[in-house]
Amino acid sequence: MAEPAKLQLLTRKPGEAGFQIHEIESSQAYFGYRPQRVPNEAWEMTAQPRSPDGRRNFIVKNLRRDRYLLIDGQEAFLWELFDGSHSLEEIARTFHHRFGAFDFAIIRKLLAKLYQAGLLVERENLALQQTLARSQAKFWAMGLTNAAKCWRRLSFTVPHADRFCGTLYRYGGFLLFNPVTFGLTVIITLLAGAAALHLSPQAKQFTQALAAKPWLSTGAMLASLLAVAMMHVTVHALACKAYGRRVREIGFFLLQGVLPTFYADVTDIFMSTRRARVIVDLAGPLVELFCGSLAFLAAYQASPGVGQALLFGVGVLLWEGALINLYPFNFLELDGYNIVADLLAMPTLRQQALVLAPQLHRRLLHPSALTKSEWIQIAYLLLCSVSVLIYLIAHLDFLRGLLPSWK
Amino acid sequence: MPPIPDILNKVVLFQDLHAESLAALAPLLIVKKFTAGTVIFREMDDSDALYIVEQGSVVVSKHVSGDVDMVLTRFAPGDFFGEMGLFDDAPRSATANVETDSLLWQLDRGVFHDIFSHHPEMAAKICYRLVTIFIERLRVTNEQTRDAIRWGLEATGYASGSQSLFGRKST
Repeated sequence: MAEPAKLQLLTRKPGEAGFQIHEIESSQAYFGYRPQRVPNEAWEMTAQPRSPDGRRNFIVKNLRRDRYLLIDGQEAFLWELFDGSHSLEEIARTFHHRFGAFDFAIIRKLLAKLYQAGLLVERENLALQQTLARSQAKFWAMGLTNAAKCWRRLSFTVPHADRFCGTLYRYGGFLLFNPVTFGLTVIITLLAGAAALHLSPQAKQFTQALAAKPWLSTGAMLASLLAVAMMHVTVHALACKAYGRRVREIGFFLLQGVLPTFYADVTDIFMSTRRARVIVDLAGPLVELFCGSLAFLAAYQASPGVGQALLFGVGVLLWEGALINLYPFNFLELDGYNIVADLLAMPTLRQQALVLAPQLHRRLLHPSALTKSEWIQIAYLLLCSVSVLIYLIAHLDFLRGLLPSWK
Repeated sequence: MPPIPDILNKVVLFQDLHAESLAALAPLLIVKKFTAGTVIFREMDDSDALYIVEQGSVVVSKHVSGDVDMVLTRFAPGDFFGEMGLFDDAPRSATANVETDSLLWQLDRGVFHDIFSHHPEMAAKICYRLVTIFIERLRVTNEQTRDAIRWGLEATGYASGSQSLFGRKST
């Protein structure tokens, strides 16, 4: 590790001849540094529900830059002290009095997060520092960055998403969020379930009919998936508007860098209640459920043939989509996962579990040392692994059915 | 030929000059003594001479705030400073403080201009050496800028971390 940087300062005392030279290490100055958060009108903080360990997280929102930060209780305590009048040395002492222990790494991590979220008073040299960091990048890191850039080019966002969703909500979108609509969806889903059961003995014929026209069936299924996926994210966004919160973005991106999908950025719903978040999460999959139900009912009414097979296929696909979306244990941050994470008050459950995974064999040697949160993370990892395995096995069987030559 | 002060043979600025040129130059320089703690020139003073250090040491600093200056560099015997004053009328960009009792040789701008008029070959050699030293000092300044930035980043705890922002994209 490099030595701390040093500065030489020359000072004069008033009325005295001569001068003194002091060498100040950056680490010395660090203790004297008085971090100052942005003015009060530029941020907003909301407490989140307690986790199973009894810990409480907070979301801090930068109102000017529209950025959000998840901080824990200890960090929230430090945040209160970052008022520009306390030095880091004083803050560390206060923290020690309050919590009984202190590690400067906690402050370093928090400062880094706050700088990134623009929640500390700006540093002018930030841009230059980033330029320096870039020029020192290794070739493989640059290669990875370029590859990531290529992937990112696939992403796009809809301009003025919040205004668009606000208008849509005012001119009819609000109708989706009332008990009558929900009741209607439940009735249609029940009827569709009965229709699907009635048609299920013909599933093999439907599969054969679709396999006989692969281009038509693939095209129709993709088109319906695409249309419903767009409606799905729009309804997420409308649900967010129903709670008076802002839709930051609507667009298309690679979920966790791999799964191409549409999205609505509803982070602002964290400034509302847990109930609001769960409803926003549930609203999306209900679109698949509703549209899939309509497809099943139409298939029930249709005369036998490719059209009926297509409608039945679309129904299966959309219901499966709703199920995958609502199923929380697939390593992806889909709607079901968000609901579970919200109910457990562990908004970064997946990330925490993935951090725990490589050290699991070591940690399990001392199970009594594991916290309640870590047991939940282990359960999440286990359920995800088993679920993915079952899903793959089930779909291999399905593919075998589609391709007779595999038999 | 008049005797050549020893120091002129050691100064990089004059290393390309022959003995005759040095002998011609020597009478044009003024010797000055300074005690420790005094100021040779201050930032924003009129700028009209270059100084060569024969004995002692000089600290050059730039005002930062209040009573605090930042030390830019130190000059030891054989070094010279204040060369910008030979070329332009702009005020001094930094303050020269005598750290230990010093003996300096002063070359005034007027004298330097006379050398240009009467000894153009000598002036060209001095200028060539000045340019190479300017370049070297510019490199040092770049390093100093980087160090000062690193100092600021370390002192304020800023680190370019990985993505730590929070967000929910419903899909």
